[in-house]
Amino acid sequence: MNRFYGKTISAKVKWGLPLLVFAVIFGLARWDAGLYRQPIGQVTAVRTTQTRAITDNLGNRDRTTRQAVTARLLNTEARGRVVHFNHTSVRSGAMDSRLQVGSQVFLSQQNSRFVLLNRKRDGIVLALFGFAVALLVLIMRRRFVMTALSILANIGLLLLVLRVDFNSHQVAAFGLFAGLAVTFTVVTALFVLGVSRSAAIAATATIGATAAGVALGYAVFHLTGYKDLHLEAVKYVTQAPQLLFFVQIIIGSLGAVFDECTDITAAVIELPPTQNRFTAGMAIGRSVMGPLIAVLFMIFIAETFTESVLWLRNGNSIAQTVIWVMGLGFAQSLVSAFGIVLAVPLTSGLATFLAKEGRA
Amino acid sequence: MSTIVALLLVLLGLLAAVGGKQGLGDFVALLLNMGIMIVATVLMAGGFQPVVVAVVAGLAVLATIIFLATPDSDVAGTAFTAALLAMGLVLLVVVVGVVLSHTAGFGQEDSEELEGFSLTIGISFQHLLIATGLLSTLGAIAEAAVAVAAGLAELGPTTAADARERLGSAIIGTALNTLFFGFFGGFAGLFIWFAQLHYPFWQILNDQIFAGELIQVFFSVIAVTLTVPLTIWVSQMRHQGGQA
Repeated sequence: MNRFYGKTISAKVKWGLPLLVFAVIFGLARWDAGLYRQPIGQVTAVRTTQTRAITDNLGNRDRTTRQAVTARLLNTEARGRVVHFNHTSVRSGAMDSRLQVGSQVFLSQQNSRFVLLNRKRDGIVLALFGFAVALLVLIMRRRFVMTALSILANIGLLLLVLRVDFNSHQVAAFGLFAGLAVTFTVVTALFVLGVSRSAAIAATATIGATAAGVALGYAVFHLTGYKDLHLEAVKYVTQAPQLLFFVQIIIGSLGAVFDECTDITAAVIELPPTQNRFTAGMAIGRSVMGPLIAVLFMIFIAETFTESVLWLRNGNSIAQTVIWVMGLGFAQSLVSAFGIVLAVPLTSGLATFLAKEGRA
Repeated sequence: MSTIVALLLVLLGLLAAVGGKQGLGDFVALLLNMGIMIVATVLMAGGFQPVVVAVVAGLAVLATIIFLATPDSDVAGTAFTAALLAMGLVLLVVVVGVVLSHTAGFGQEDSEELEGFSLTIGISFQHLLIATGLLSTLGAIAEAAVAVAAGLAELGPTTAADARERLGSAIIGTALNTLFFGFFGGFAGLFIWFAQLHYPFWQILNDQIFAGELIQVFFSVIAVTLTVPLTIWVSQMRHQGGQA
């Protein structure tokens, strides 16, 4: 009885844990300025010195605000010193927003004057990370360990590959990332499924389906001559946007395809040989492929929102905006969807074939 | 023929061949979602409050994914209810995250791309980012809700709590992989850029675009993790309600 009582209390209290973790990390990060070499200031007073209504040449109305800011330095030798600077922002906040008392910012010293460089964001990033991890531990408990290890191993692999300097070798870079995708799959399969027949089936099917999907996508791109597809609009790329676009598709769809292949393999392997395993695998695959396509679609399209609105407000037509800004997101989700759909028969067939071999 | 149209036709063929009627449903759902997202963007640009547009579009997206992907109406009902609750909670998380992180708008890395654009467009970029954050999680919420609801229906109402937890954990585990790779795939270019420029870690952590992207991943992880227990809870409530 006593134990039961204790359990209900802790059941209610435990949901506060993620919030507690969030608050503690966020609070601590406000005191971590000493870890940085770049001067950090905390705003102690702001005074609005000027606001001005502005209308751009497209008739968009906005407002700029100029603030006289007083801040106290939190680190470096000048710690404790009070500095003054001006800060101009636009209400819509495309580049920066208004400062408030308590805001922490990176400053840069130019001669004797300080200018604002960037916001300090480590607190919220780490606090949200802590919140997510606390929530995962609460719900998955011990099972979280393997998932976390698998993701950590993948991040390690990624950092390793990113150290390679491939600015001058674009084709080699594509090969490297394709190899990375294969390694990601194998590592994840081993962590999730252990050294087993299922892991071999799921990994092979994932690699096969992703490769087939991307190859099919490439064929369609080529046959249609990349009409209305503007790969030069791929963000943050200086050279060879086409190769990088394929890298993004391959890596982006890998997790979803793997997710699906694991589901199908698990279901098929567990069935007794008297039942039609292939049909069962196809049924599982059919039920999961739609939502998986939607997961990637929403991620890739939501990324284009801010820019799409900017384009529309700058007098571009809806068609132009859809083609130039959302088009790449659409293309990426569609080619990823090829892999997700192709994985269904591929995994079902492979699992049925290999499960039979195993029994023989 | 434009490449996107050709891609759509090929996908239609594949979905019909592999999925039959279910595959056609999935295709219709994808087309509807494309339409919803384009209309939502146009409405936001037209001056409607972006967060309100996102919530309304979000309801439509969730309904589309869940009801068109799930033949069993009981499973779909449970999944939809849980997904709505999850969406409400995630909106809170997104608002807090976006407001505190100041990641709205564009960063220095975007400046080349923004040449020639007027940035004083009179629409709050912070609200646009809240809309983005919410909408990008919805696919993952719907997928997790459907998977849990379908799994529970298969297990039956009398299953032990431990089996339910195992099911939920397995679904979160695979969803985390989907999200990790999905987001990395969306932003591989940025990672490569940062790596080639040898930015130090602290600078990356505070960088507007990188922090914004990382926070986006956390939103989705939190969304999926909240969806699973919520779906289990809704399923139990519905079962109890059905008995009473």
